[in-house]
Amino acid sequence: MSLILRDATYRYAGVGHPALTDISLEIVPGSVLAVVGANEAGKSTLCLLAAGLAPTTIGGELRGTVEIDGLATIGARPPELAQRCGILFQNAETQLSGTAATVWEEVAFGPRNLSLPLDEVVERTEAALSALGVEELAPRDPGRLSGGQAQLVALAAVLAMRPAYLVLDEPTSQLDPQGTQLVGSALQRLTQESGAGLLVVEHKTDLLASIAEECVVLADGKIVARGSAGDVLADPRLDEWGVEPPSTARIERAARSAGVQEPMLSALATRP
Amino acid sequence: MTDPLVEVRDLVFVYPGGVRALDGVDLQVQPGEKLAIIGQNGSGKSTLVRHFVGLLRATSGEVRVGGQPVGRRHVAELARTVGIAFQNPDRQIFAARVRDEVEFGPRNLGLRGAELQGRAAAALSAAGLEQRLDANPYDLGYSQRKLLGLASVLAMGTPLMVLDEPTTGQDARGVKRVEGLIDELAARGTTVVVISHDMRFVAETAARVVVMRAGRIVDDGPPESVFAEAHWPLLASTYLEPPLAARAGARLGLGSTPTDAALVARALEAGPRGVSRPG
Amino acid sequence: MQPSDARRTPPDFVQPIPTGPYRGLNPTTKLVIAVAEALVAFTVRGWTGPLAVLLVLATTAVAARLGRRLVPFVIATVPLTASILLVNTFLFPGATDVILRIGPFTPTWSGLEAALQATLRVMAFAMSVAVLVLTTRPDELVADLERRGAPRGVTFVIGATVRTIPRVVQRAGEITDAQRARGLDTQGRLWRRVRGVLPLAAPLIFGSLNEVEELTMALEARAFSAAGRRTTLRVFPDGTGQRQLRWAAALLTAALIVLSIAGRLAFLP
Repeated sequence: MSLILRDATYRYAGVGHPALTDISLEIVPGSVLAVVGANEAGKSTLCLLAAGLAPTTIGGELRGTVEIDGLATIGARPPELAQRCGILFQNAETQLSGTAATVWEEVAFGPRNLSLPLDEVVERTEAALSALGVEELAPRDPGRLSGGQAQLVALAAVLAMRPAYLVLDEPTSQLDPQGTQLVGSALQRLTQESGAGLLVVEHKTDLLASIAEECVVLADGKIVARGSAGDVLADPRLDEWGVEPPSTARIERAARSAGVQEPMLSALATRP
Repeated sequence: MTDPLVEVRDLVFVYPGGVRALDGVDLQVQPGEKLAIIGQNGSGKSTLVRHFVGLLRATSGEVRVGGQPVGRRHVAELARTVGIAFQNPDRQIFAARVRDEVEFGPRNLGLRGAELQGRAAAALSAAGLEQRLDANPYDLGYSQRKLLGLASVLAMGTPLMVLDEPTTGQDARGVKRVEGLIDELAARGTTVVVISHDMRFVAETAARVVVMRAGRIVDDGPPESVFAEAHWPLLASTYLEPPLAARAGARLGLGSTPTDAALVARALEAGPRGVSRPG
Repeated sequence: MQPSDARRTPPDFVQPIPTGPYRGLNPTTKLVIAVAEALVAFTVRGWTGPLAVLLVLATTAVAARLGRRLVPFVIATVPLTASILLVNTFLFPGATDVILRIGPFTPTWSGLEAALQATLRVMAFAMSVAVLVLTTRPDELVADLERRGAPRGVTFVIGATVRTIPRVVQRAGEITDAQRARGLDTQGRLWRRVRGVLPLAAPLIFGSLNEVEELTMALEARAFSAAGRRTTLRVFPDGTGQRQLRWAAALLTAALIVLSIAGRLAFLP
């Protein structure tokens, strides 16, 4: 069972050319697939497509297939999709429902919508809060959190849905280094402990290098490179695709072209 | 010696709710400097720069801009000296066309006609948006809207420019554009203050780094000093890490190498002698 | 953590059950009472309606110890009541019982009486809203209505509206800061400040519209449109007595409205 896209081509409603063309990829439970590319390459669209929000909620035309554990996203009802695949957007504040008086209720929002029995709602909420280490934020007003805290709460709110798959669109873009690390380790724990399959879009290739197994590069709506994260992130063509290479690769490249020799070259390229 | 462009003495700022965001800050920004302010979210970086233009007024302590105390001077007046480009372009962009957006700031400062258009064109060109003069800002992607936000403040031609998180959400090209923009500003003699979480970007673009923690400045110096191994415990106390180049340099006994270029240069010098510390 | 330690109900700070006289009533009861009071105050003619309602309100306000907190609501009615008093006293049509002549102005007793009655009605309405707002948290009311089957959309709109206001205020503040830093004059001459409306309003509106789309998707991703009733987190105490009170209030109000329209209450002062 996996989240799979097969030859998917997607066009937004009212737009002439497709945003994504012939996309085939697979998100496997318990692993992280990284997606990189320049802005406007189609990364956010890919997130919407994988989660089924495109075309089901936002319209547009899809050719090819997108299936989440066998359920085709075309024709599925949004709540069915929501239970299988969660999505986290860049901007934490716009994802908070705006109706919850406390962080606890914000995280409970999803399970409540599924009409789950009360003790299960409580259990899922408590588990999600503790998975991200934000239990002490539970009584706080969601509207008064810092950017990093809001991002963690938004992630907890999605986790409470217990989706088998999770799509994250630049989850650390507004976070400081500490917040970035928190999210990174939370995602790793998630795949290890609950076996969720993740798709992570990020510019921070250092972060991706540490948490992703596989990686895909998008350019102009097409996949131009794929493979293990280690290989793809070391590809010298990343620059031309508008992707910042991870620090170690960048340093190694600069050193090599300046004429630095072994063993110094390898020493530079090793991550401390 | 000329007056500092901005001077802050024992600045304390307490938000209405009681949060003490600035706890006695002393800072002087000299004309022509390229300064970066780093620190965790909540350390007071944004709060501090808002005082430069009068958006916030000190609870106690002194703020001087252009040699004169800020006092009750209007924001519109201080904006002639200090231009701030905020983090979120969507909290600023209002015009229907890129060109109108960029012209707003300089127009407020009294520019008209050919001079106004020239300024706007130059700013857009520096931001790489010269082809999109008549486009609707919301037809641009986020990264370009962010560059538009920068261009709009650039066009004001103020002696001091503050950029609040200019690289968040930018792809590699966008980051390079921002770096180029800062170089150009410095070449023109504009004083630049950048707030950022990107340590590599900070090390490469700033000549001076100011580190903030809990409303105070805890370190202040060139990148070679602030990111040197001796300062790492201090950085760690602010939940920051030095750029990888600095860490690699220290690990290999190459001294303080905050930027890739410095690291490579030292590595070349040390090359023939081999690696002096176990890797 | 032992399984027996696992929580089975939400923590106390989630939708806390209010206590105390009047406050402790079920939220829907408090709502029904407020609506009944407002309707009776306006539809029963003369002095009786508003005075009776004000009497009931005074009792509940004392019981719930609201006192000084009602003052802002009273003050809010002043612009309206002041104009009602002036207009009716001086310009009541067809009145001839003049109080005194002040130059061209001729205030009349009939006008004054009508003005005072109208003022009392406005006060009664404002006070019934005040008592409701001061004794009932919005999420408490929304939660109870939901439990009784109110549609998800309605309760969402009420809850979101309440919470959106501080968010919009904060956003407006950020926009104002950014535009002022670009030289927009908000402290100078008035005519210059008027020109500043578009740079302040446009980002607020477009930014909000932009975010509405993302919020819609985020909510959808959390099963907002799923069928069935959302899980109730907290049941607010209710009882036969309160149920009977709600029915009695509703029926009494309906009866009074009908009688009043039919003119059967003309005997009341």
